[in-house]
Amino acid sequence: MRRRVVGAVSGIASAMFLAGCATNAPQDTFQPKGPNAKIIDDLQKPVFAVAGIIGVIVTVAVVIAVIKFRDKGQPIPHQSHGNPALEITLTIIPALILTVVGVFTFRTVFDLAKTDDTEMIINVTGQQWWWEYDYPVQTEYGITKPIITSGQLVIPAGTKVLLRQTSRDVIHSYWIPALNGKRDAVPGRVHLNRIEADKPGIYAGQCTEFCGLSHANMRMEAVALSKEDFAKWVANQLKPYTPPAENTLAKEGETVFMNQCVRCHQVNGMKRADGTPIIAAPDESVVSGAAPNLSHLMTRNTFAGAMFDLLNKSCREDVWNADSESFGAKYLSGVSEECLNQKDLRGWLRNAPEMKPMYANPALLTSTGGKYRGMPNLGLTEADIEKLVAYLLTLK
Amino acid sequence: MFSTGSKYFFGITFLGAIAFAVYMLLIGESAIGGTALLGLVSATALLTGLVLFTRDGSNGEDGVAASTATPTSSIWPLIAAVGATLLLVGTITSTVVTLLGVVLLLAALVEWSVLSWSERASSDVAFNAALRKRLLNPIEFPVIAAVGLGVIILSFAQITLALEKSTGAIVFIVIGTLILSAGVLFSVRPSLKRGLVTGICVFGAVGIVAAGIAGAGVGLREDLIHAKEEGHYIHQECGAEKSKYFDKLPLEGVSATSSVDTHIDLIDGKLVASVQGIAGDQKTITVPRSNPTNIVFRNKTEGEYRLVASLGSKMVADGVKEDVVQCTQLIEKGFEQLLILNIPKPAEAGKPFTLTVPGLAGQSIEVIVP
Repeated sequence: MRRRVVGAVSGIASAMFLAGCATNAPQDTFQPKGPNAKIIDDLQKPVFAVAGIIGVIVTVAVVIAVIKFRDKGQPIPHQSHGNPALEITLTIIPALILTVVGVFTFRTVFDLAKTDDTEMIINVTGQQWWWEYDYPVQTEYGITKPIITSGQLVIPAGTKVLLRQTSRDVIHSYWIPALNGKRDAVPGRVHLNRIEADKPGIYAGQCTEFCGLSHANMRMEAVALSKEDFAKWVANQLKPYTPPAENTLAKEGETVFMNQCVRCHQVNGMKRADGTPIIAAPDESVVSGAAPNLSHLMTRNTFAGAMFDLLNKSCREDVWNADSESFGAKYLSGVSEECLNQKDLRGWLRNAPEMKPMYANPALLTSTGGKYRGMPNLGLTEADIEKLVAYLLTLK
Repeated sequence: MFSTGSKYFFGITFLGAIAFAVYMLLIGESAIGGTALLGLVSATALLTGLVLFTRDGSNGEDGVAASTATPTSSIWPLIAAVGATLLLVGTITSTVVTLLGVVLLLAALVEWSVLSWSERASSDVAFNAALRKRLLNPIEFPVIAAVGLGVIILSFAQITLALEKSTGAIVFIVIGTLILSAGVLFSVRPSLKRGLVTGICVFGAVGIVAAGIAGAGVGLREDLIHAKEEGHYIHQECGAEKSKYFDKLPLEGVSATSSVDTHIDLIDGKLVASVQGIAGDQKTITVPRSNPTNIVFRNKTEGEYRLVASLGSKMVADGVKEDVVQCTQLIEKGFEQLLILNIPKPAEAGKPFTLTVPGLAGQSIEVIVP
């Protein structure tokens, strides 16, 4: 029995120890890729070391005391009360340790709260279960009109970016471990969060405030591009809408999109046959009042709150594993027909709630006045899905 | 046939079954309450069976009660009766009454059961009373304290809502000071006579409650009634001022002060925006769609001005559109007003959303909804 317990404990300890050696750990808090995350790392490593040493000392002392002084029938030892010198020492030492940790912690908190050196502003809005990013007009970056996107936050590398975070429904929390710590997104409030990436690349994150059924599927990715590549990305996002060519499958897909999708999803610049602009009205169908804007969808690598990749496995690995120099070109090439993750996109269009848990059953929406949390099953036919996929591929 | 313990559990099972039937027939809209009550019935039915089977854990000899003294008089049967009545009355009047009935019934159930049990614990009446106290005082004291505190706070609120704003503040300060002084006195003079301390506490509590009842009788002060009637709290009144009672300092609200997204300042006749987190004055602001955004208008110019948000138009009937406009009240120099924008759609091309001040030409801030 004893041997089994020792074996089990050793096994668990070894597994935990080896887990620390993982190389493919995009959300590893100990691998900072930007100055803000480095500030946190510089604080947490020494604190962790001090806490670890104290933890080991206390644990060993307790184990020794438990084993050495266990009841073996010996007489009860002499009972004494109070030892002022020892008690004062044991109060002063932890107080000193906490004071030192406190001083450095406060300095870190204030460093991370700085906003006067901001170089770029992005508004970030959380809702069940995806993140929306809108870029206010900033002519110095070529942003002459607001840009709106979702799933992937695109930033210029080496630039101090200030995220103005809020939420449309419940409390969420924005966390990209490689770039900074967590910051809540609270309805009715704007919280500020600085991020900066040293080099081009993709940095993964996860909502860290339980926000309902698909909280675990509310992911995010920050894409850092070189300044030149970021300018190209901006220019592409500002390109006007180009309707598909007549008599093509994509054109038929545009019609399906207008009939089924524009109730919630906006594609900037899309017009009806009579020339009137189409403005989506997600506030009439969705609790949060918003659905992802799908303009230039195929310039992103993810969909459905970054839960699924738009790129198939090999193309995705090609982008994720690219070095800093070649990353921008690979990312900016977007999603081609050859690289499209057809399986997940078609599955999503076929029955979204089956792919991602959402409150989308019309029979259970009395408490929200018939409004959904997430995307419902639209009951599309396979022919409609074929057309829609062809159309979505044109949104570059 | 029935052992003493089984009667107790049988009674709870019976009451639980009745409560379950009443709940499902008259109240139950969801299965949660029914499931809870059914769970109670099942659990106590099981305990009834166990206790019957083990004959209260006796060794087979007929036991005799430890004490055969007459039970002491108790108010709990009366409270239980009131609770049951409220429970039934509540089913046809209000959920609040039902809840009050349930609370009273539960309190009576616990108190009465423990009292009955403790009176039979031994033949020593003092020991039995101490036993009851030891079991129930840890529950009774916090509950009584919470209820007492709630009553005091409610009374205090009624007093301040009935008085003029400035008078209410003075009363608040005076009563607060008196309570603090009494607390300091009790702590620095622990030798004070118990009767004196009790007298001061009772006098203070009765005084506040009586004043609260009087305040409730008088009702809300005039400006609060007017503000409520005229919908001032939604801050969407455009046009002529309707009332002198309008609260021109809504930023006194904690929620508004702590979550302002944008300040719109009218400085020397010029309109500028300062957005949280963005350095410098702005001439455009970006507001997320379908998301309430708090904007505060501050008048720093001589004269009375209001901020007007022109937010396009909306369809109110087939082919009929109506302009969407939100306004602050007219405010004097040095005052400020809150405006909450919740815009569901971007502006149509060529028709931007704007924030303007009537009477000031050329002063406009564009509101962009991506």
